[in-house]
Amino acid sequence: MLKKTITVTNKLGLHARPSAMLVKAATKFRSDFFIEKDGMRVNGKSIMGVMMLAAEYQAQLDLIADGVDENYLLDEVEALFSSKFGEE
Amino acid sequence: MKEILIKDFFEAKKKDFALSMITEPKTMENKIVSPQLNRPGLALAGYFERFSSDRLQIVGETEISYLQSLKENVYYERMRELFTNAIPLIIITKGLSFTTKIEQLANDSNIAILSSRLSTVNLIRNLSKYLNDYYAPEKTIHATLVDVFGLGIILTGKSGIGKSECALDLVSRGNSLISDDAVTIRLIDDVLVGQPSRDFGHFMEIRGVGLVNVEKMFGIQRIRQHKEIDMQIELMPWQENMDYERIGLTSNYVEHLGIHIPIIYLPVSPGKSVSVIVEVAAMNMILKKFGYDAAEDYAKKLQEEIKRKTRMRNAITEQGIESF
Repeated sequence: MLKKTITVTNKLGLHARPSAMLVKAATKFRSDFFIEKDGMRVNGKSIMGVMMLAAEYQAQLDLIADGVDENYLLDEVEALFSSKFGEE
Repeated sequence: MKEILIKDFFEAKKKDFALSMITEPKTMENKIVSPQLNRPGLALAGYFERFSSDRLQIVGETEISYLQSLKENVYYERMRELFTNAIPLIIITKGLSFTTKIEQLANDSNIAILSSRLSTVNLIRNLSKYLNDYYAPEKTIHATLVDVFGLGIILTGKSGIGKSECALDLVSRGNSLISDDAVTIRLIDDVLVGQPSRDFGHFMEIRGVGLVNVEKMFGIQRIRQHKEIDMQIELMPWQENMDYERIGLTSNYVEHLGIHIPIIYLPVSPGKSVSVIVEVAAMNMILKKFGYDAAEDYAKKLQEEIKRKTRMRNAITEQGIESF
């Protein structure tokens, strides 16, 4: 199991479009993927779950991956966050 | 381009357009080659530049009364000149007629003349509709067309994916079938209309059972002869890396005969009730038509919540509190 803490850096936060990008990226991998925020834990491969977090700008998220390709999954998800999902 | 033998046109439409044959049957071997109509008024006045001779010519009361106002030799001369063009067919409206001499001339020039008892306006309107329908661009695709809650949906996808089974399920749930396996799509007045490719009735092949007759089995209210096409649903085997729509904020479109309609790529796997999902897609589309978009609604609520939290975070940071 791998765990990483990241900060939301895009101004608009994790709204619908970035959530969809995140879920689509995570679904490509076989490992389980969870996101934790303020004690709330959701399945990172479920769009409704990710959107429910309503993660705002500067919010801290724990990304948890568990499985054979967990490091690849986290790398890709992290890259999305650092690219600010193509936003500002 | 398609053609219509005038003989066939006459047989098919003599009742609808109140037609009678003026010239000899041999002239009825001519063919209509264009859906356009022309009023030959200017040509009768002697102006033959840009005269569309390949079109069906409609002669009304105005033209006839103009011709009658001419001296007999001028009348004859104009008609002779008109007849040097390869006109397929002239229809005279309101049951009017040319002189017997002109009719003879038409026979000799091999030009067909029909007479209609309809008024010019009526004839032109109905004839245009008939010809535009006949000449409408069309193509036949491998698909199944169903009417779900009033929406025309074409189901596409590879052979064996379950289009017919899905349609059967939809029909047994109270929707109706237009055509299974092959659908002829026609572009009529900028609208795509689908119909069965063969007029054999509403048969369907269900693997393991064979052919079934949907009309006999489910009744006349479960079938339709044609339907406007509103959307396409492509059934496809579940693929790991396929980019399926998750929220519905973006729409995909597919083109048929120059018209773009929404398309949904629907992954099919055992245990998924495809027909229910097709119904849901139809209802979602109807809601959108009525101005409600669930994806937009949710996205807006989410955005507001994120904004609220951002404001809260900013306020807390300004007060010098590190975390909350």
